[in-house]
Amino acid sequence: MDRELLKRNWDYGLTVATVALLGGIGVQSFVGTIYVWWAQRTTENWERLGYAGFVNTMNAIAAPQIVLLVVVMGLCVPKRLFSRRVLAAVSGAMLVVGLVAWLLTDSTVVGLTAYLSLAGLIQAAVVMLTVAGVRGPSYLTEGRLTKTGSGLLHLGFIVFAVVVVALQRSTFMLPVFWAATVLMVGGTALSFYADHFATRRLRARDV
Amino acid sequence: MDFAAVQNDLVSLIGSLAFVGRPIQALLPALSLVLVATAVLPHLRRGLPHVLMAMALLLAVGEGALAWFHVRLYQLCAVLSPETGQITGRIAVPLWVESEKLYIWALIVAVMGVLLRRHREELLPGVAIAVAVLATAAALWARPFTEPLPQFFGQYSGYLQAMGSGIPQAALGAYQGMEGSRQYFYNSWYMWVHPPLLFLSYGAFTVSFVAAIWMIRTRFSAFEETAYRWARFGYLPLTTGMLLGFPWAILAWSGESWWWSGKVNMSIMMWFLYTAYLHGRLYLRRRGMWRWVAALAVLSFAVLVLTYVATYVVPGAHSYAFALPAEEVAAWTASC
Repeated sequence: MDRELLKRNWDYGLTVATVALLGGIGVQSFVGTIYVWWAQRTTENWERLGYAGFVNTMNAIAAPQIVLLVVVMGLCVPKRLFSRRVLAAVSGAMLVVGLVAWLLTDSTVVGLTAYLSLAGLIQAAVVMLTVAGVRGPSYLTEGRLTKTGSGLLHLGFIVFAVVVVALQRSTFMLPVFWAATVLMVGGTALSFYADHFATRRLRARDV
Repeated sequence: MDFAAVQNDLVSLIGSLAFVGRPIQALLPALSLVLVATAVLPHLRRGLPHVLMAMALLLAVGEGALAWFHVRLYQLCAVLSPETGQITGRIAVPLWVESEKLYIWALIVAVMGVLLRRHREELLPGVAIAVAVLATAAALWARPFTEPLPQFFGQYSGYLQAMGSGIPQAALGAYQGMEGSRQYFYNSWYMWVHPPLLFLSYGAFTVSFVAAIWMIRTRFSAFEETAYRWARFGYLPLTTGMLLGFPWAILAWSGESWWWSGKVNMSIMMWFLYTAYLHGRLYLRRRGMWRWVAALAVLSFAVLVLTYVATYVVPGAHSYAFALPAEEVAAWTASC
């Protein structure tokens, strides 16, 4: 199998994993919602007696899926920058750093934050290289603006994941959250509409 | 502040809204029938754009009446502290809560239908049927003109009664509840930004759904492109609206496991599904992928509808499911 094909399959595999995890959490949410609807109709005082247990069960089922989603999201980052061997090494190193941080502190939050921080740094480098027009970063999309949008959007996801995982009770929560929001909204707008504007400019110039 | 006088003014205002809005509320289902007929019957199809335009205008006129009603509400409804005797603020009830939600959704889809250009001829009947369903449900079930804002009026009339009762404890309890609702709900900047963004996205996803159905029916890839364009148009306000809800939820629902509340839960699932749909589309050229993408588009919209319904049937932090009738709220507050 040639390099390009392997890379495409890695991309595809990560996309399928992301979609499968999103789907898994979605199915859990749906089943949970139906259960709440059914329980409050059939069990008297369920809100007072059963809701806390329901929340604990839902958290326990969702936690590994969220952790895996964060891991997959992190693995999506270095693929933009590195070729096959380096990619495997960098991805492995990120996982090892996260695992070591987790084992040393006995805290999933610290492990995930360390992992996300590394992913965030690499993604920031990807965005800077994309903005600078360096050929290195590879994307499924075309056009520098669209690629920048995609890069910003994914950086926003990583920063937002840091807020959810580590900063919910921190004084930094709001400023970091707003930074994530600006990155995600700006990134979404660019990745969806940049080609449209670029085409318009091109047409205007042609005329 | 004369509480009895405010109560009387409110009753008179509700009467005025009913007087203005009753004809609109009656016309909506009738025009919806005409809209469906022109959408379904081929020999009437030529009239469809005009009927849709008439529906959009009718909905806009009604929205104007509701806007006037909300301005008058703002002028009338103040919250006064029983401790200081000072007015802490007026209540700015947003135009997209309670009985007005379906109405604004219908208006947005109708306007999108009027503005629709790409595949207009094919998509217009489906969009028109969606507008007809939403407008009829708004008129017959939500009834924004004849039964406006039942939750708000239940709480506010309870507050007025408690304040006029002369019982200090009842007045203080009602004041705290009303002031909390004013600050964290009605007057919160979030309530003025989050719901309209979501309804804008709901409107775009409705058109996207119609295009996705056409794609499945005809297997013509241009419809997939149209469905995608409307979905990406909806995805931006959806993401922004949901993100803006996050810090508000942490603040307002502090201590609650709000993320498993039925409505929040379903909304997150809907966002996941639309994200999966837009991601899956990157691989559209793979063999058989279009079926999955089409299935995701349809599933995402089905979940959108369930998300809307969940607000009314599934209890939780973001829900009307456990809401008491207005009279009960008033009686309960007065008896405190």
